[in-house]
Amino acid sequence: MTSVIQKNSLKSFLKKLVTQYSYWLSFFMLLILAVAVNTSFLRWSNISNIFVQTATTGIIALGMTMIISAGQIDISVGAQVAIISGLGIVVLNRTNNILIMFLFCMGLGFIIGLCNGLLVSKGRMPAMIATLATQSICRSLINQLGQGGPFTVSDVNYGSFRKVAAGYVPLGNFRIPYPMLMFIGFSLLFGLIMSRTKLGKHIYAVGSNQTSARLAGVNVERIQNLVFIITGLLCGFSGWLYASRVMAVAAASAGNGYEMEVIASVAIGGTAMTGGRGQIIGTFLGALMFKIINNILTMANVPTFLNGAISGLIIIVAVLMQNVQNKSK
Amino acid sequence: MLVEMKGIVKTFGPVVAVDHVDFTVHPGEIRGLLGENGAGKTTLMNVLAGTFPPTEGEIYIDGKKVQFSNSMQAIKMGIRFIHQEISLCNDLKVFENMFLAEEILLPNGLLNKKEMIKRASEVFNRMQVNINPEELVWNLQPAEKQLVEIARALLFKSDLIIMDEPSTALTTRDIERLFVIMRQLKSEGVSFIYISHKMPELFEVCDTFSVMRDGKLVAEGNFSDVNEQEITELMIGRQLAEEEFSHKPCYRTDEIALSVRNLSGPGFQNISFDLHRGEIIAITGLQGSGRDSLADALFGAIPSTGEIEIFGKKINPESGIIERMKSGIAMVPRSRKERGILNDLSIYDNLYMAYLNTKFKGLLIQPKDQKERFKRQQESLSIKTDDPKNPITSLSGGNQQKIILGRWLEADAEIILFDNPTQGIDVGTKFEIYHLIINLAKQGKAIIVFSSEFPEIFKVADSCIVLFKGNINARLSREEITERNIMYYSTGANLEAEKNDKCDSKKLS
Repeated sequence: MTSVIQKNSLKSFLKKLVTQYSYWLSFFMLLILAVAVNTSFLRWSNISNIFVQTATTGIIALGMTMIISAGQIDISVGAQVAIISGLGIVVLNRTNNILIMFLFCMGLGFIIGLCNGLLVSKGRMPAMIATLATQSICRSLINQLGQGGPFTVSDVNYGSFRKVAAGYVPLGNFRIPYPMLMFIGFSLLFGLIMSRTKLGKHIYAVGSNQTSARLAGVNVERIQNLVFIITGLLCGFSGWLYASRVMAVAAASAGNGYEMEVIASVAIGGTAMTGGRGQIIGTFLGALMFKIINNILTMANVPTFLNGAISGLIIIVAVLMQNVQNKSK
Repeated sequence: MLVEMKGIVKTFGPVVAVDHVDFTVHPGEIRGLLGENGAGKTTLMNVLAGTFPPTEGEIYIDGKKVQFSNSMQAIKMGIRFIHQEISLCNDLKVFENMFLAEEILLPNGLLNKKEMIKRASEVFNRMQVNINPEELVWNLQPAEKQLVEIARALLFKSDLIIMDEPSTALTTRDIERLFVIMRQLKSEGVSFIYISHKMPELFEVCDTFSVMRDGKLVAEGNFSDVNEQEITELMIGRQLAEEEFSHKPCYRTDEIALSVRNLSGPGFQNISFDLHRGEIIAITGLQGSGRDSLADALFGAIPSTGEIEIFGKKINPESGIIERMKSGIAMVPRSRKERGILNDLSIYDNLYMAYLNTKFKGLLIQPKDQKERFKRQQESLSIKTDDPKNPITSLSGGNQQKIILGRWLEADAEIILFDNPTQGIDVGTKFEIYHLIINLAKQGKAIIVFSSEFPEIFKVADSCIVLFKGNINARLSREEITERNIMYYSTGANLEAEKNDKCDSKKLS
């Protein structure tokens, strides 16, 4: 009797694993592959390095999960990071104050996010078009302001500002880099927001069916504004972190292809591209998976120019898999 | 053309929509297909017209077995289906819609507009309706759109025309003209299947009838051998339940819950009425009568002007849904799939949504609280579910509707607007919903039921407001709620009679 129940629960557990938590499955399969290719993959230095690399895009991917769950898309995040980090460095060099720079970055992110949100909610523009336009504007402005040259952190601030990305918390024999803590911290916070707060439920409701959500009393426009603003703020934070990591922001190439990486991370993480369904833990693993794949490809000597092709392929495969799963349901 | 359907079964997942039905139409026959909503009529016709294949069963045309894998194949065999919902593309012109996917081409492959416009005009002339084939469908009235749908089927030679409630938006005059054309085609050997709820029409134009109930064919015969009463009994099949509702108690109290004065909005004007605690008012009207807009406007989903008072407190009619919710109004919307359920969300979250928006305070949602609220509503509404963590789409239509109702009860709604509440719900659950509505009135809730179905209005309403072209055309008391009265006032027949009287008196003078 009990064995029957166990069998059934095992079966339903496996089914659930394949249909709903496939990102765990792919994550562990990828991990095995990574260890097979690179025997030193599981070393702490490598793991923490992957987290540091993931942090800038991973943090934005958390916001993108909200946007896509609400049935929208934002392709301006890469250009946002470029203009925020570039101008952030200008502010830092003028004020010599990291906090003021941080507030500036967040403020600029808020403004760009608000613009995106208003264009979509009040202007009734398709998000794809609205953010394509803001992307173009942001990138063009920072190119003009940079006049081809990079925005470089001045020598005075070099030592102190470097610590944002390069600093760490010592824990016994391990060093936990700040970006890793930031990424994990934000992920926990956003996981809680999406699963346990009014905002989270409203985002899923709006992404699932706008009309039904509105008739259940959800302020649809407000939610649309909020998801873009939150993502703008995360771009602000990420731009600040990015500036510290590179110390010299090249206007034309900063944050290039971030939108693809970010959307790919969300897609591998199982968030439905049609909205309504998605989980932060999926995006968290998805963002890591993206970097692990890069890591494997680097080990296999694949040229970095092919990164764009890889992220494109990842998006296609991830979304096709989602569709197949939805059909089999 | 002789059409025979044998042993047709159609299932959608666990739901058996059509259950072993044999159905025959002879050449030159007009067959009425009757049954309550959800009885399986439309599904059966969709099978016949090739919209989807049957799960089981066979179709024979003139004795030859056929299998349609899409509706184009059925059309090629001479079977036309005029669907209940108007399915025209608003951005295309009338003639473009009529020839959609069957365009007439010039030898060089371009569209032969001239020919198409000419043929469209011919059909309109035959129907004696005044519609310009080059008009954008966007600019048409609902009745005109319905006429275009019908005209589309008459454009090409066909042997069997299926009409699924073609007359809902039409005036009596349009219907008379339609019947003339039907009789003429019938004499040429064309057969019809006519789906309608309107008894007088059925008796007038149809030769034979088939009655469906719960997916099964329950009776067949000639209209000349039966009367309206007998047909209605065949359709409903539950004489007992019917009687139980005919002695419906009235729980109306003196306290006014909702007072509406001169409310106007898109599609309706000068609506005034009072709704008391414990009272159930039905508001009815044909498509395009402003019924849908009025429901939305009362709930604040679309803007309106006029005066609204809720429990003696003035409400800004321009205020939105959230203000209405906070003052105690709730709406169980029509078209549950598109407007009610949040299909990606769990049963828990669907139930919790209105409470979350009006009453919830605090930062984190407690799963325990969600569970308790669900348990409470599950008991009081007898909701049948497997695991409430599953998406709401795992439930049957009736149980989904109960979740939506429970959603509002958890938000402590005092005034509940039910907009077409039993759409796509099986007969058994329908009756449950009627009992729930009456029970809510007993508990002192004030209720408006927006409905187009007489049986539904009759079962729950204490009084009935009939809309015609956006105005209140009649206020019927409980005793006056009859199928005839509702049809009479919702088609504006009384106004037409008045007009005729005036004309007559003019002639006399």
